[in-house]
Amino acid sequence: MTAVSPTAGGGAGPQNVFMDQFNLEARTQRVWDINHAIWFTLMGVGGGVFLVGRILNLTEGLGYLLGIPTVDVVSFLAIAVGGAILVADLGRPLQAWRAFVNVRTSWISWGAWSDLIFLVVAGLLVLPALSLGGSEPFSGLGWDPHGGDGGGLALEIIAGVAAVVVMTYAGAVLARPRAIPYWNSPAVPLQFLLSSAAMSVAVVMLIEVIAGEPVSSGQMVLLGLLAAGLTVTVVGHLLARTDAPGKKESLDRLLRGRYRSMFVWGVFAGGTVAPAILAFVGAGASGARGALALICCVLLVPGGFWLRLLTLRVGIFPPVHIPGVGGPRSVATPAGG
Amino acid sequence: MTRWGMVIDAARCVGCQACTVACKTENQSPLDAWYAPVIEWESGEFPDATLNYLPVLCNHCEDAPCVTACPSGALTRRDDGIVMADEDVCIGSRACMTACPYGALHFFEDRGTVAVEGAPAEAVPSVPERYAHQRHVRGAVSKCTYCAHKIDFGLENGLEVGVHPLATPACVVTCPAECRIFGDLDDPDSNVSQYLAEHSGGEVLRPDAKTLPSTQYVGLP
Repeated sequence: MTAVSPTAGGGAGPQNVFMDQFNLEARTQRVWDINHAIWFTLMGVGGGVFLVGRILNLTEGLGYLLGIPTVDVVSFLAIAVGGAILVADLGRPLQAWRAFVNVRTSWISWGAWSDLIFLVVAGLLVLPALSLGGSEPFSGLGWDPHGGDGGGLALEIIAGVAAVVVMTYAGAVLARPRAIPYWNSPAVPLQFLLSSAAMSVAVVMLIEVIAGEPVSSGQMVLLGLLAAGLTVTVVGHLLARTDAPGKKESLDRLLRGRYRSMFVWGVFAGGTVAPAILAFVGAGASGARGALALICCVLLVPGGFWLRLLTLRVGIFPPVHIPGVGGPRSVATPAGG
Repeated sequence: MTRWGMVIDAARCVGCQACTVACKTENQSPLDAWYAPVIEWESGEFPDATLNYLPVLCNHCEDAPCVTACPSGALTRRDDGIVMADEDVCIGSRACMTACPYGALHFFEDRGTVAVEGAPAEAVPSVPERYAHQRHVRGAVSKCTYCAHKIDFGLENGLEVGVHPLATPACVVTCPAECRIFGDLDDPDSNVSQYLAEHSGGEVLRPDAKTLPSTQYVGLP
């Protein structure tokens, strides 16, 4: 097979007016970038903080805003801001409602519905606790905002399921199509889910520290397990299909190229390994637990953001054609049949 | 059932880019959006160096990942296999662009282009319904449609699709080397099926993506 010129396809040659489209070279996706990384992070934290607060029964005692637990307020704000960033990033923001249409196949539609269901149901759940000017106008609603009765528990479960989808769907959006091999892996939504959960536990611990409440040993163990799981998932993803066209270029950029420092120190060391170690240390050191929880939060949240940003930035399409390597159409409806 | 498809004999292509320009003219695609270009590259070493040409366009996949990813339903696959983008329904999420292995979708950003404004077709007197395919919406994604408007026009007027110039994609009509053939892949007697049979079947780009393209190739470099 003959060599392809370095100026082929989308290179710098004078004939290459189709710079960023059809290409004979591996092509970096530039469609989604920092806005999407912020959105992915806020959705992860938003869904996760609600879930962690409810599962660990930490909604009470960590402060209130207008009668609503601080943990829930943080969750709602993160998801609302994340959603607003997403809508603003659309080419046609005023048509955003159409994102709900294709639930049959589109993970973005699933995400849109999950965001909406979460905000509506979780909002309804805490509504009886809303306090405005000393009065609670919705206190007559017949459920416990902390899920202590049947109605409250039902709302809590629905909101919790929606929160899990909110935490995961961004990864699923990336992982489903085969176009970008680095994204096309179950490890991507798993990373997003674990990262979201770890960030959320850390944020809840931060709220506890600010509220002057003790951080429990169990929370630190949970955080350690989540961060360790994230470490294993990240390593597994890096080691899988390393020679696949497109994935190889992604790994080069991540491990040897311009994103090496950010990935190695920001995501891997700072965003997964160090928090795992610190959390396990903190589980057995009650005196330093608050400080360690604070450090974990400071490491995990930026680490989670960089994980998402770098996942987007190393999304590389393989060449549309590798000279000398054609392939049959495969099966389905054969030509002429 | 009709399933429109295109066979491109890459060995015949002379790299004149007439298809590129014919498509641009026919569809008035937004600035920077090229629905049907020809990729050129050099291979080999002097004195055995060669220029290679590869005409590319939307593959109109049977399992189209762009249709699957699109949240708004703007991308649809017609019964005849053509994948269409409804720019009025598109929200500009660009999920299709990350899902397409071929880079066949184009986002129309507002960069002061000279393309037709994104107003309803009926509100633009210079763009009658006959030329609605030339109207592009800012903030939306557009793509090759196999010149579906010409195919539909041909079918409505009893013209043979893939043969009559008014019922055949512009890139096919204009190709001086006749390297593009268009027709019904489900009809064993059609020009495309016959051509594929003569060449022991076609090949596709990015077979690893498993998208079952309707655009197939013979003579791939």
